[in-house]
Order: sequence, then structure tokens, then C-alpha cells
Amino acid sequence: MSGNRAVIALLDRAQTDSDAGQSEAAGASLERALRIEPRNPWLWFELAQLRLAQGQYAQAITLARKSNSFSGRQYRVQAENWRVIARARVSQGDAAGADQAFKRASDLEQQAGAEKDRDAGFHAQ
Amino acid sequence: MMFSTPHRNKSRFSFNSPGKAVRLTALLLLLGLSGYIYYLDVTIRDAFDGRKFALPARVYGRALEVYPGLKLAREQFLDEFRSLGYHESPQADEAATYKNTLNGVEFTTRDFAFGDGPQPAQHLRVEFADGKVSLLQVRGNPDADLPLLRMEPPLIGGIYPGHNEDRELVRLDQVPKPLIAALIATEDRKFYTHWGIDPRGIARALFKTVTGQRIEGGSTLTQQLVKNFFLTPQRTLTRKANEVLMALLLEMHYSKDEILETYLNEIFLGQDSSRAIHGFGLASYFYFDRPLDRLELQEMATLVGMVKGPTVYDPRKHPELAMKRRNVVLQEMLGQNVITQAQFLAARRKPLGVVLRAPAGTSPYPAFMQFVHHQLELDYREEDLRSEGLRIFTTLDPFVQHQAEQALQSRLTAIEKARRIPSNTLEGAVVVSSTQTGEIQAMVGGRDARYAGYNRAIDAQRQIGSLVKPIIYLTALEDPQRYTLITPLDDSPLLWSQPGTPDWKPKNYDRQFHGQVQLRTALANSYNVSTARLGIALGVERILGKLPLYGIERQPPPFASSLLGAFGLSPVEVSQLYQTFADGGFRTPLRAIRTIVTADGKPLQRFPLNVEPVAPPGPVYLLTAALQGVVREGTAQSLVNWLPAEMNVAGKTGTTDDLRDSWFAGYTGDRVAVVWVGRDDSKTTGLTGASGAMTVWGEMMKNIQPEPLQPAMPEEVEMANVDPVSGLRYDEGCKAGISLPFIKGSAPALMSPCPASSGPAAPPGVDAKPGAKPDVKSGGKQDTRKKNWLQRLFN
Repeated sequence: MSGNRAVIALLDRAQTDSDAGQSEAAGASLERALRIEPRNPWLWFELAQLRLAQGQYAQAITLARKSNSFSGRQYRVQAENWRVIARARVSQGDAAGADQAFKRASDLEQQAGAEKDRDAGFHAQ
Repeated sequence: MMFSTPHRNKSRFSFNSPGKAVRLTALLLLLGLSGYIYYLDVTIRDAFDGRKFALPARVYGRALEVYPGLKLAREQFLDEFRSLGYHESPQADEAATYKNTLNGVEFTTRDFAFGDGPQPAQHLRVEFADGKVSLLQVRGNPDADLPLLRMEPPLIGGIYPGHNEDRELVRLDQVPKPLIAALIATEDRKFYTHWGIDPRGIARALFKTVTGQRIEGGSTLTQQLVKNFFLTPQRTLTRKANEVLMALLLEMHYSKDEILETYLNEIFLGQDSSRAIHGFGLASYFYFDRPLDRLELQEMATLVGMVKGPTVYDPRKHPELAMKRRNVVLQEMLGQNVITQAQFLAARRKPLGVVLRAPAGTSPYPAFMQFVHHQLELDYREEDLRSEGLRIFTTLDPFVQHQAEQALQSRLTAIEKARRIPSNTLEGAVVVSSTQTGEIQAMVGGRDARYAGYNRAIDAQRQIGSLVKPIIYLTALEDPQRYTLITPLDDSPLLWSQPGTPDWKPKNYDRQFHGQVQLRTALANSYNVSTARLGIALGVERILGKLPLYGIERQPPPFASSLLGAFGLSPVEVSQLYQTFADGGFRTPLRAIRTIVTADGKPLQRFPLNVEPVAPPGPVYLLTAALQGVVREGTAQSLVNWLPAEMNVAGKTGTTDDLRDSWFAGYTGDRVAVVWVGRDDSKTTGLTGASGAMTVWGEMMKNIQPEPLQPAMPEEVEMANVDPVSGLRYDEGCKAGISLPFIKGSAPALMSPCPASSGPAAPPGVDAKPGAKPDVKSGGKQDTRKKNWLQRLFN
């Protein structure tokens, strides 16, 4: 998710806070991480997931989209983001939209898998 | 008889009345007096209880996060130490001390209570290599690598109660005994035994008053405290009487220790421009830059000496008088056997030792503080801000702030000199924010950044001119079936009639018309006529109606001329506008505050990141490519004198009629910045956006060292290789073309054969001259263009 140990340390801290039900504090740690790596799609995804858990569905969807905007060809994080969007839509009562989003997520997951296989194949040669 | 009875009655009444009247009057007087005393009692207790806890809000800048790999030079880190009040020391083992080492610094942080909990002091080591942090360790046995260090945040100001009173509360047990002894020895020897007043002192004062001398003296500490609560310059007998009564009342309600503690925190001890220095705790910092418990004997005596007259005995303004007074205090202490003869002689020999410059009290960043205050006022009562001791953690980055201040100051001075403009007539403002989080890192409200007056970053509403154009182009690009970056626009003469306004004939800056121009070229060269025509085609109302979407509340007049920015916005509003372009179409409200914590460290309020999608990412990506064209080959191409081309800066110049306003708004990978330059009286400056504001922007960014702008390409965008002039599409490999982004499906379908001698394509967006034949016409065009921007620069 990040090669920066400072960012990893903050993610750990956010995780601990989040597990302890301290979602505000978890959010603060994620924002600290984002100040260090503002274009890291994984960090934006983490924030999206946190907002989803807090019941802030519109914000969760927007943050997942924002994460996607930094993701380039990182299909794995895109798949995760679409899953956040799907779950937020479920909670918003948008079943059709949720289905679409879940479909996007699984397509991207496959793409990510294919790319991984290709990379593995490449390394095997 | 008829008359006599009432007469007799009357006379009996009047006969009986004197005794009764006296009694009645006495009763009324007594009632009145006790009522009055009750009133005084309530007043003084209110004052005492209220003032006792009035603590100003403390405002902090961002806490620097240090980690291996962070871009940070030693000098920059030392600046941080200075803003945190660290001192150099040989061991650097005490809190807030540091020492330089061969490759870096060793230092010890302070305990600090952040919004998310306390952080204890640590002994640390940082080393630098190639302008980056190469090592971060906890010094110990053995040393241990640390992934991340959060420094304490620098204090950047306070929000003070009442008449800008600042204080640093101390408890009685924190006050050094000799200071209390000195105070009692010089000001009120019977403090611990009297009832709040000193009858002999009062008698002396009365005598002097009656004999026509000045009303003065005879004040106990309790009386002084009362006086200090209701500071007014009048000295009348009534006031003196009230003071005496209130002093007696205070002593009835409160213990000596409570009164003394309040006195120590309340007494007025100096003035720092608009800020009043109250209490010994703050005065200790203000005059000696050290906490009270680290003062030496003679320094305590200096402070105690000032009680008699903080202005007369101000050790900075009147050092001789202050020194004399200090020695009087020492003498009194000796006389009362509070100090020994040896201590007395040693202390007398010492210099005053005040620090020349008082540490920052009223903020060195008034423009930013004002913005913070505005945001706070939305959620908090003014009196809570001024009395509850709130701690406010903000986004200000002192490093970025200093670069912004410096660039504005030095460029304006240089421009005035080079153009023979009378000095100090140009003014300016700067706002810098983080692209992805919307945090304001710097705000400069004028050339004199310390001046807490007119804040141009917030309060100056100046015409924005061409800065508005990206809204029109983005609206166009949101319809990829009709508009791409290479769609030809009509830049021939235009006359627009609208009921209620005079006919409108927009002109280009170069006073020429350019026929058919590509959309990206029209924006790069900031052509007014083609842009106006485009905006009219899209709909004036539709374009202007988009402003609220981008966070601009102000509604410009509903006229076509608004399409060319004939309406005023403040620099901070323009920042909000460009924030959305910079952040891929996501609007994040600009923020100056992260967290607010109560005096006892409990989190009170967070201002979390809030993001709204307001423009689709594909068209915003195209707009950014076009704004990069402005810098690469358009009106802002001289920015290359400050920042290398690889920065890929996106930006827009703005110049208004008669050269009244010079604007530049632009963004890098990590920062959005807006600069305005102009005169307060709105007279012409002779500056274009490029020759004024852009140079400030460039100078500032050069020193900030921003990240290059490389937005990730949204999935709905593809690159296509097209001929820069005709817009015809070439093969991917053809060198004659340039690579431009298109919304998928909107790139020209028509393929053109690659000119014979052309090889592989040029890098994205770089104009490659058609390789076939250098035709005279196109060469001539190049020349005019060059001339145009030269004109723009030096007009």
C-alpha cells in the first residue's frame, strides 16, 4: 500500500483506533498519512471505507471515486473502491446501482488477477 | 374651622415630622447604602470569578511531520526549531534544545498534548543527505530507528479576551517564593495581616488630597487588584471609596492565597502593540523569553518593579529607569531580610537581561489568523474563544508562508525599481493551499505581511479578468461531441447586443483578431473574442450559474462581459475555484483549521476532509492539459525563468482593463496558489498577469520546490496523435503530430498520412514543426507570436 514506513505506521495507528471504535481518531491518522502521500489511492480508499463504516455514504462514494482518480492502472484498489461504492449504494437503497458497482468490482478484480498472472508469467520466463 | 382642621393636621404632621423624617432618611440611606454595597459586592465577585479563568484561545500552525525520505534541508529544520523556541545547547538533552552534528542535528522535544493524546518529550537525532532526511533515530541505549516524528506545532497567535489581554496562567505554587517576597516587600508589607485596606495609607492619601496634592498611593495589593479589574484613567474620591469598599468585600469572600494568585495573573505589566500583557507568567516570557520558574533574582525584581508603572519602567523603552527601580526593589528585599547582603550585591551587578524582541504574541501571520477567526466565528461564541483556553490546530505551514511573504515583497520591490514605479505603491496578496486536501498553507494579505490591517487575500474584491475563462472551457469540454482541445473557435470581430446593456465588442489584448483558432490555443493565448463567442454559445447564464458549484457564492452581473471576468473576487475565492480544477473536479472546501481541543486536552471539534464531485474527471483532465499549454506555449511561458518545464505547471494569467489587476492562478502536483498584484486605489499598474503576479508565483514556487504536475489519466480519456495546425490525426508513430488527450470517441477519426521525413511522435503536447518543408508563413506566425508575448511582458 505504501513504501513509506511513516505512512505504514499511521495506517497501523488508524487501524488500532478504528478497531477500538475511535473512528474520529482513525480519520485523523488517515489524514496525516494523506498529507505525506496525497496521491496514494490506497489511503483515499481507507478513508472511503472509514466513512462507509461511519454511515457517511455520500462521502464514502465520493472518496472512493477520488481514490480511483489517482489509481491509474491499479485495478486492485479500483475493485476495492467499487465495492465501497456498491455497499454505500446498498445502504442508500439503490439496489440497481449497487449491482452495477459490484459487477465493476468483480470485473476489475479479474483484470487485476489477469495482470498478476501475466506478471507472474513474465517473471517465470 | 373647615380650614383649621387640615391646617392643624398639617401642622401636626409637620410638627411630628423632623424625628420621623430623619429616621426615614436614615433608613432609606441605610437601605440605599446596603443596596449599593450589595451591588458592589456582586460586581467585584463577578469580576473576580470571571477573570480568574479567562484564558485566550491558542492558535497553532501545522505540526511538522519528519520521516526518512522527507524533503527537508538542515537550514529549514533549524528554522522550525527557531519558530518552536528551541535553544542551542552543548548536550541537547533538555527539552527544547538542539545541537548541530556533522550530518544533522540532535535535539530533545517537549511534552505536548495533541488532539489525539499526549506525546512525551524524546531525545532524537536527524541526519540529512541530498536535501532529504536520511536518518531519524531515538537517541538511547541503543539508538533506535523511528518511522515518523511529529514535532510540536508552532504557536502562531492567540485570540485574546476583552481588550486584547493576553496571559499565561500560573498557579501560586508555580510562582518563585522570592518573587512573592519582593512583591510584598515593595508593594504591601502588611498584605497577610490587613483586611484589604491600609488605614494609615488611606489617611495619608486623604490628607494629600485635601491639601490639594495628587490623589495617590495607599493601595494594598487587594486594592490594586480591584483597580486592575476596572481599569479607567479617572482618579476621583468616589472611585477611591468604591475601591476601598470592594477591597474589603473581596477579603471577606476570598482567602489571601486566592487574592494573591489572581493578582499575580491579573496585574497589567506592559503593552505589545495592540496586546496587553497581563500577569507575571506572560510577562516572564514577554521580557525574558523564559517561564517564571527559570527567572533569576534580579529579573524577578525587574518585573516587580514594573508594577508601579509598566510604561515608565518598561525595561526595553527606559532601561535606566527600569534598572534604578529594580535596584530599589532589591534594596527593599534586603531591608525586609528577604535576601542576604551577598545576594543583594550579586543581583545589583547583573544587567537587566531582557530579550530585545518579544516572542510572537499577536500573530506574525495576521492575514491567516483573520481567516481562522472568521471560520471560528461560524461555530463559536466570541467570548468562548477569548476565555475558554481553547487550543486550535491549524494548517499554516510557516515555511510555505515565509516563501510566499518573501516572494511578494522582493518581486514587488524589484518590479517597482525596474519599471520606475514609485516605491511602495504596488500591493499584492497570496494564497497557497494543498491540492488534494484543500488545506491553506499560507496566506499573505499585503506587502507588509506583519501588518494586521487590510487583508487583501480575503477582503480585496478585484476583477478577475481571464481567470474566469477555464469555467467556460471546462463547460465546453464537458460536451465532447461538440468540443475537444482542437475544435476550431471563431476569433473574428464580435458585436453582442443585450437589452439593458450597451453593445459589447470584446477585443483581444493584442488588438488583433485571429480568425479560426484551436480551442487549446485560444485558452493558451487568452484570446478574448473567441472565448466570449464560445461562452455566449454555451449560454451566459449557464456559465455564471456554475460558480456556486465551484464554491463561489458571489453572483456576478448576468451580462456577457462577466464571461471575461468583469466582476470582482477575492484571492481566496479564486483559490477555491482553481482548487477544483487542480483536484480532478473534486471540490474540497478550503480549510484553515484541523482540530479544536479544550483547555484540558479533550477533542472538541474536528474539521474533517469533505469532498464533493462537481465536474467529471475526463473534461477536467483536458482542461488541465490546456492550462499546461498556457505555461508551455501561451501567456505564461516566461514562467520557465523560475520553474523548469518538467514541472508541467498548469496556470492562467489574468489582466484587467487598463492593467489595473495582475493575476496568476496555477497548480503543481501538490499545491494550488493564487497571486494578485495591483494598487489599492485601482489605478493602472502597467502590469499584465505575466509581468506581475506570475513572477511572484514563480519566485515563490521555485523556493517551495513543489511536486511536478502529473495527473493520472481518467479511464474515459485517451491520447491521440494529431497535427497541431490542421487537427488531422496521424499514426501513433508519426513525428509530425502532437499527442493530446481526448474523451474516448471524440478524437478525429480522419487519418492523415504522415509527412515523409517524420519519425516517431514527439512527447505529449510539445509542438513539433512539420518536418516536410519549413514554410515561410508558419515561420512568420511564430515571430508574431513571440512578439506578442514580448509585448505582453514589457507593455
